[in-house]
Amino acid sequence: MAQVNWRLIDVDALDPDNAFPADLLTPQSPPVSLSEIQGIAQHCRQALQRGDQEGALKDALSYPPYGGDEQVKELHLQTVLEILSSIKQAEMSPILQRLHSGPEGSETVDVLMKYLYKGMARHNAGSTPGVSTHATGVSTVSGQGGREYGVAPSRGDGGGMSVLLSWHEKVVDLAGTGAIVRVMTDRRTV
Amino acid sequence: MSAAEVNLLFHQRIADHSFSADGQLLAVTRDSRVQLYKRSGKTLALSDELTGHDKTITAVDIAPNSGKIVTCSQDRNAYVWELSPTGEWKPTLVLLRINRAATSVRWSPDETKFAVGSGARVISVCYFESENDWWVSKHLKKPIRSTILSVAWHPNSVLLAAGSADAHARVFSAFIKGVDQRPAPTAWGERLPFNTVCGEFQNRSGGWVHDVAFSPSGNALGFVAHDSSVTVVYPSAPEQPPKAVITVTTAGLPFTSLLWSREDQIIAAGHDCHPMVFEGSEDGWQWARNIDDPKKAALGEEKETSALNMFRQMDLRGKTTSSEDSSLKTIHQNTITKIRAYEGQPGAITKFSTSGVDGRVVIFSV
Repeated sequence: MAQVNWRLIDVDALDPDNAFPADLLTPQSPPVSLSEIQGIAQHCRQALQRGDQEGALKDALSYPPYGGDEQVKELHLQTVLEILSSIKQAEMSPILQRLHSGPEGSETVDVLMKYLYKGMARHNAGSTPGVSTHATGVSTVSGQGGREYGVAPSRGDGGGMSVLLSWHEKVVDLAGTGAIVRVMTDRRTV
Repeated sequence: MSAAEVNLLFHQRIADHSFSADGQLLAVTRDSRVQLYKRSGKTLALSDELTGHDKTITAVDIAPNSGKIVTCSQDRNAYVWELSPTGEWKPTLVLLRINRAATSVRWSPDETKFAVGSGARVISVCYFESENDWWVSKHLKKPIRSTILSVAWHPNSVLLAAGSADAHARVFSAFIKGVDQRPAPTAWGERLPFNTVCGEFQNRSGGWVHDVAFSPSGNALGFVAHDSSVTVVYPSAPEQPPKAVITVTTAGLPFTSLLWSREDQIIAAGHDCHPMVFEGSEDGWQWARNIDDPKKAALGEEKETSALNMFRQMDLRGKTTSSEDSSLKTIHQNTITKIRAYEGQPGAITKFSTSGVDGRVVIFSV
């Protein structure tokens, strides 16, 4: 008889009860359309132009497009990163504290953490050609006064990363390691 | 609050532990054995060893009244151990009919049944068939999609909660005809044939569920998941959505185990190596306090652990300070695996015990 490495046979594949679609694990989220998220992006950008970075951040983080497709998620990531990089270092902690103490505060901060990790992951991949091409359709807007820290994250230089890292530090100070664990655990990806 | 009683038993992981009702006997898992410790004065002394499993034991439970011990292991078997008149522990094999490791086992409160969770996506509900003089099992299957990590009984011994790696906490009926009396209707359900699913819950982020527990009254279900959260579910009526599902997220690492000390108080512990107390009701739950708080311990002893200090010490003295540097400021030096009631009635627990990966069993006051 031919040598069959029976330890490598995937017996579960033969079990009809074993069908295990990943969406069973994921809590259901309503679908989000591109126009909806563009509306939010527009709204946040207007808030940024008024100089209301905190309001922009709050609004952006209140509508994470869990149910959206890749394009929608990418667009919203751009929006969030834009807001994050427009906020000065000294303002980060006070803003975070206010976000955290608000209603649904810890959820909001968890969402922010997801965007920080996604931003960092994207940043690394950004050097490979063809990855950062999703960034179309987003005009880089310079918020008033935010320019000294406001390195557009899509450009892939070190500046965007350092913004994300200082945000990360501040979020961990406030929300602890729990926020990191939740980013890794959460099935609702941004 | 009296000081905690610390027992460093050995330097191996304790997956599960169980005290007898009077607190005189402690069973702990150690590899493929269960060690029994008897209380002698202030310490626990090794008195006996249960050998028979040939792979790592994953759970142990002592029945509070009959004193029978049930163990389950990665070798896919469970044994019921009974003390013979000659003082020896006699094992009886239980046929679980599973093809993956058994992960957790608990006696029902009336001690006529026990439930074994497993990696085979089934829960074996086992009961004694006196005609055949044999423990037999019935499988709870649907709609489990992944490994069962924990099981917990409702006070009525019919309902069973299970936490699973598919991110759901579920409530099943484990009603066995001929063994159980028909239970009084509860908020979970009225007619309860075997394998009725009385509830299926998930927290918002969908972390896998480490541990589940019914509240002392049985009218609420708590579970801890891998997203560092504690969730409490209040059912409203059979087949209706629950009255309230409350999730408390924390700033620390995930919990692996929880205990209802009172109807309005939960103690949870896990990867942060010290227990935390949560309090609340249907209207909301929140973190109340830490037990064995590492921050308070740090204030008292003023330990310095930073890298800067280490190099400063090396510079000044040519060596680093004592081995204290690598120890945690909590009593447990590694993840707490299980938390159990030690003293007090259900609903008024005054002391609880914890076991850890560090080989310690610690008894805390609430």
